[in-house]
Amino acid sequence: MSLLHARGPARINANMTPLIDLAFLLIVFFVLVARMSSEQLPPVALPQPLHAATTAAGSRPRLTVNVIADGDRTTLSLGARRFADDDAGRAELAAAIAQKIRRDPTLPVDLRADRSLRYDRVEPALRAIAQAASQIGVGRVTIRVCALEDRTSQHE
Amino acid sequence: MNSKRTSKTSRRAAAGFKLALAMTSMIDMVFLLLVFFVCTIRFERGEEVFRLDLPVRAETADPLALRDAPVQVIIGMRDGERCEIEVRAEGVRQSAENFEALAVVMQQYRRTPGSNDGLFETSHPILIVPAPGSTWQDTVDGFNAAVRAGYANIGFAESKS
Repeated sequence: MSLLHARGPARINANMTPLIDLAFLLIVFFVLVARMSSEQLPPVALPQPLHAATTAAGSRPRLTVNVIADGDRTTLSLGARRFADDDAGRAELAAAIAQKIRRDPTLPVDLRADRSLRYDRVEPALRAIAQAASQIGVGRVTIRVCALEDRTSQHE
Repeated sequence: MNSKRTSKTSRRAAAGFKLALAMTSMIDMVFLLLVFFVCTIRFERGEEVFRLDLPVRAETADPLALRDAPVQVIIGMRDGERCEIEVRAEGVRQSAENFEALAVVMQQYRRTPGSNDGLFETSHPILIVPAPGSTWQDTVDGFNAAVRAGYANIGFAESKS
């Protein structure tokens, strides 16, 4: 009788520990990524123009300024940072945008604003972006809107 | 060689060889992942962009150079479904009932390259002037109408409040 058979029938067990480790790592990764992306793009009711002549946002990195309606107040945000909608807050926002654009002058800036907001509450954010762009000498800003499917022409 | 392999397999079968895989923990993990994604998923409509070029302050620009007076698109206050819109430029003053009509009006004023019809080149500056109290939706609708009409140099006026 061979030595193999003397030990009894052979058993193969899959070691699940590394699989579970990996699964937990994936969960942690997705939790963190989901949190980061929601900070960059908070839920905002964007304008929906009829027959929008827009272009797809694309996947290249962008700097996104959000103008969020919060009751009577308006909050400005750039990534995870929040800014008060007053002169000091807008100056801080312009400085933060300028700092980021200085690192990458080709970085486009998106403006996401709630469609129900009055224009005079969105315009200061536009002015802050313009101020940052003129500080650095970059002249390109994109307005990001949520558009309906129907398109007429391409602008970009 | 074939006969050798067959005999080895039959010997293993005779010895009660079993291949078992512990599926319980794997299924636990699959369900955990499923619950996580079901809880965190958020369906969103694809976002698209309009391009807005800010004027670049070039040091070499001639400060005495004449610049085209912009065509102003005045967006009035909304009254239910109705929104008063007016196109103003030198010698031009025309109103539009809605943003569809605005796109048509602006297209009529656009000069087609190589022909004499129309008043304004596609590069002519267009200024969207929302009235105090106008919403961002109406402002973007006005911008969209100008883009649809074929203009490429569009900007927003400063708010008066």
